[in-house]
Amino acid sequence: MPRLISAAMALRRDPRLLKLPPYISLLCVLVGVVWLVLLPLDQYSRRTYISENALLPGQVHTYFGGSDQHVFRAYRHEVDALLNSTNVQVNDELEKIFKGMGLKVGRQNYTYHSSGETYTGENVYAILQAPRGDATEAIVLVAAWKNLEEEFNRNGVALALTLTRYFKRWSLWSKDIIMVVPPDSRAGMQAWVDAYHDAHDGAQVAALPIKSGALQGALALDYAQDGRFDSVHIAYDGVNGQLPNLDLINSVVNIASGQMGMGSVLQGLLRHSQKYDDNLRTVMRGMLSQALGRAEGPHSCFIPYHVDALTLKPVGNGWHDEMGLGRLIEGLFRSLNNLLEKLHQSFFFYLLIHKHRFVSIGTYLPSAMLIAANFTIMAIALWVKSGYKEVEPAQDKPKAEEVKDGEEKTEAMPRSVVVERQTLLPLTLVAGSQFLGFVPLFVFNQTPSSLLTPVFAIFTILNAALPHLASVFLTSHISQPPSPQQYQLIKSFSLLLLGMFLSALATLNFALAFLVGLIASPLTFSRPWADEWIGARYAHAAALHLLSPPVVVLGGSLLAGVGVHEVLREAAFGWNVWGMYTPLIIWCVWWPAWLVGEIVVLGRPRDGEKEKKA
Amino acid sequence: MRHFFSYLIPFSILFWTAIASDYYEQLILKPLPQSTLLASFNFRSNASLSQFEAHNFRYFPRSLGQVIQHVGTKELHLRFSLGRWDAESWGARPWDGTKEGGTGVELWAWLEAETDEEADRKWLSLTNALSGLFCASLNFIDETRTTRPVMSFQPEGDHPNSTLANMQLLHGVLPREVVCTENLTPFLKLLPCKGKAGISTLLDGHKLFDASWQSMAIDIRPICPDGEECVLQIEQTIDMVLDIERSKRPRENPIPRPPPGHDMKCNSSKPYHSDDTCFPTDFAEGQEWALDQVFGKSVKGTCPLTDPDVPPLCIQVPNIRDIYTTAGATELKNPNGFSRCYKIPSDADFSMMLPRMSQEGEDPATNTRELVQPETPLLYAERSFTGHGYERGGVRTILTNPSPDTEVEFVYMESLPWFMRIYLHTLTTHINGEAVPKNNIIEEIYYRPALDRVRGTQLELRMRIPPASTVFLTYDFEKSILRYTEYPPDANRGFDVAAAIITILPSTSPDAPLARQKASSLRTTTLLLSLPTPDFSMPYNVIIFTSTVIALAFGGMYNILIRRFVGADEGPENVAGLKGKIIAAVSNLVGKLKGAKGKVD
Repeated sequence: MPRLISAAMALRRDPRLLKLPPYISLLCVLVGVVWLVLLPLDQYSRRTYISENALLPGQVHTYFGGSDQHVFRAYRHEVDALLNSTNVQVNDELEKIFKGMGLKVGRQNYTYHSSGETYTGENVYAILQAPRGDATEAIVLVAAWKNLEEEFNRNGVALALTLTRYFKRWSLWSKDIIMVVPPDSRAGMQAWVDAYHDAHDGAQVAALPIKSGALQGALALDYAQDGRFDSVHIAYDGVNGQLPNLDLINSVVNIASGQMGMGSVLQGLLRHSQKYDDNLRTVMRGMLSQALGRAEGPHSCFIPYHVDALTLKPVGNGWHDEMGLGRLIEGLFRSLNNLLEKLHQSFFFYLLIHKHRFVSIGTYLPSAMLIAANFTIMAIALWVKSGYKEVEPAQDKPKAEEVKDGEEKTEAMPRSVVVERQTLLPLTLVAGSQFLGFVPLFVFNQTPSSLLTPVFAIFTILNAALPHLASVFLTSHISQPPSPQQYQLIKSFSLLLLGMFLSALATLNFALAFLVGLIASPLTFSRPWADEWIGARYAHAAALHLLSPPVVVLGGSLLAGVGVHEVLREAAFGWNVWGMYTPLIIWCVWWPAWLVGEIVVLGRPRDGEKEKKA
Repeated sequence: MRHFFSYLIPFSILFWTAIASDYYEQLILKPLPQSTLLASFNFRSNASLSQFEAHNFRYFPRSLGQVIQHVGTKELHLRFSLGRWDAESWGARPWDGTKEGGTGVELWAWLEAETDEEADRKWLSLTNALSGLFCASLNFIDETRTTRPVMSFQPEGDHPNSTLANMQLLHGVLPREVVCTENLTPFLKLLPCKGKAGISTLLDGHKLFDASWQSMAIDIRPICPDGEECVLQIEQTIDMVLDIERSKRPRENPIPRPPPGHDMKCNSSKPYHSDDTCFPTDFAEGQEWALDQVFGKSVKGTCPLTDPDVPPLCIQVPNIRDIYTTAGATELKNPNGFSRCYKIPSDADFSMMLPRMSQEGEDPATNTRELVQPETPLLYAERSFTGHGYERGGVRTILTNPSPDTEVEFVYMESLPWFMRIYLHTLTTHINGEAVPKNNIIEEIYYRPALDRVRGTQLELRMRIPPASTVFLTYDFEKSILRYTEYPPDANRGFDVAAAIITILPSTSPDAPLARQKASSLRTTTLLLSLPTPDFSMPYNVIIFTSTVIALAFGGMYNILIRRFVGADEGPENVAGLKGKIIAAVSNLVGKLKGAKGKVD
């Protein structure tokens, strides 16, 4: 034991130790990526199960059908007749139908502004008061007039109306049922949910005239397709990649397959082989939509308020008709109605592999954490390193003789002496670039839609020139250009912040932290090049330029086949309406780190100090 | 206080005959819009005070009478309620809301006590006794749920001034209590006919608890008619709003299966109307029901103890509507044209039928001809939570005075649990969307702040709302974190917050309409407050981890403390020597034994 301690003590002073961190960092990144790729294997995932026993999915007989189909056809005629009507006309007609069922009806106006465009509309909603309840809890059924693809949700709205009328006949509801018809799937639902929780901006969104109790769950219906279907697609991602309780998804899968004989589809993978490649594809698609953080359906707006929600969309070509979907929803509502407590038993952080398997946070989080840790390890190593100065052993010999016998063995190696850290310039530079990040954030969220593409082009060009200008300024226009130690400190501070932000983000939005961390991981290895290596310096800088945020945004939108204009507009809409923080992470966490990394690569540390000392 | 009693006088005159007799019962049926039916059962027994004090209870239920005598209760009000009254469609509440409570169980009583401590002691035994009597968790009304309202409640009975001075009012609510059949059975047992004869035979748990709204009330109060002996009166009331379509379902087939297509009521004027397409017309058809259909059984004669002068069954529909009854019943039409009563034979079953009014023909059905239009209530109230998250929240109450010309004055009372810490300075009022100083609307505030784990918040506001305006009353609160043993078993459900009680004060102007001359009340709905809830498997994990850490630390520490560590070469020499000596001694002994053996041989 004492020998071990003394060996460790000796190792502590070993300068070789300081050479290790880059390798550890690299190892962290590699292990993080390999870890993620291993997750879809069956050994690392778990089978899903219903954790909340009160849900009892698929345990009730569902009775929706028979003559309700006649009603459905009639409502569909009514809905079809409103295809070309204005929002207000539609709501007038829906209000009449709801009132005919004996429900309380409310309407709400909203007007959002984003990218110079105005999103305005009127929501209509009806509250089916629980026959024996007292407005303490409620579940929501949403059928947006138009789905995310701007298709007319004619079957969805008609089915929701029929279901509401059917639910009215039952006396077993313990919770109010609220049926909401927003005019679109993007802004309307957000306005309604915000106003329901009184978190709305009164200038943009009107308050709700009638309310019910605490929302316990929400289901959105996206049924624009005509004809029979084969499976239901479950969209579960919320804004900012927050997820609903896994029990809710499991209940849908359980009722659909066990009771209705329907398939369920996740992340748009219509055919899932349940083998490794499809598993990995599901995980990757799930992570991508989580990282983008946008609304994947009308349900997404509920999730930030801790209301578990899903969007169901019939897909494929099969033998199930709208009555089957209605029975699925009836079964789900009966399950939700059974809940005594809010959904809390099962997981809120998970990656779904296929409909029956998932990876829980304890298993997947290390991969993002390892990637975030690689920055922190490097930052700490640089901080330690910057506190010492290596001295050539030959010049140092006279001094070495004075030291005690015990340390004589280190004599042959380069020795380090403690030096003072000059932190003013690094701190200013890092803090300055962090604040500079708010400029693109502000610009892209406020620019009118028509100017977004030119502004982005100008920004990309400026962004390419900025590190070079900054580096030139630093090296030749200030009285004391940065020393190697200061470059180390600049990089250390920047990486420390990046590591800290990303590890905190990993617990909130794993996918975003992982992706940003992965793309930013080359920043760990950015270093100034000596003037003899000028070619290497510019090659390195060019490589980093390829991984700069604007280039990645451009490349991503090219790969996805959407215009960069569309991407920027969506990002601004997300920021202004949904409260999506992905732009903040990109411009205020990643971009400053990239800028500093590029400045470090382009840096020309002054050697004067070294010569002077020698 | 005196002037308050004067408002009760018209009320008492109304039931003059009833007060004089010893027992009377009456059922009032009132069809409401949207295919619903309000049924108000009223049972009233009297026992003269002197007889009561001599333990001669007569029609007064003995079980309850003894409890009341034991704890010195002067007046008692107990409410069991479920569901919510839809004031928008159903109008003003039955009995002006005086015979209903907030969701769950509500109890308030005037106890005769000299000191607060005595009152608390008596209250405790009262709640415990009633809890046993009514199979309700009334014993959970502890000190944190008990309030002493100052402005909201006034005694309804006639109390001599000598007892008034010593009477203490205590009030408790259990919003979480689910009212069900086990509460109805003891309730019926208190009746003289015990649900075996008379209108109480209609009371059946299946129908009562399937109602959209129901309230069971017990009021006990002393009444002193002029010039006669004082009586102790117990009034039992059950009000329920039945959804006719739901109630008409036969008991053996209660599942609302979709009706066969040809039985659907469709709007045939729609262009797409066909055999397989039907736009339903659910409420437009008007109501039609029979008594034995909606209650599942008919009235079994009359209770022989009831006052024969009071018709046991009344229905409030326009007199032009036809009603068919079983033979032997006598119809008494009220001259006002909107109500009729039936005297029913004492030994035969009685049922009645309200046929549908034809939509066409000479007398087409219109809203006013079909139903008695519900009265507009004096005040609408709606309360909800604002905000989200587990740290702070707000309460917003929307109070609307629908009257175009009369202002309404009332007392708004909230009794909040202690873990909902309200900030009184955040109390704000808006009229029709504009912020106004609260002094314009709130005339008086009585506030008794909460003490953690000792008592809840009590807030009473006397307010006045101008005609035709809506007042938003908002205040903020902070949520406390409970100790983990203080959470109920289903902690993640949240905590129910009792309904706010609104007591509308009688109008002071002499020419006010009758409805405004007496006190009426209403309750808001209850609220569900979600508090920060720990993951309850967490304490278990923490216990395991800390135990492990302590075990490890203790083992190591103990080892270090009692042991002396020395180098191998530093130890005393005799350590090795002792071992050697023992070995030597043992071999010596063995050698000796061997030697001895050899000698023997």
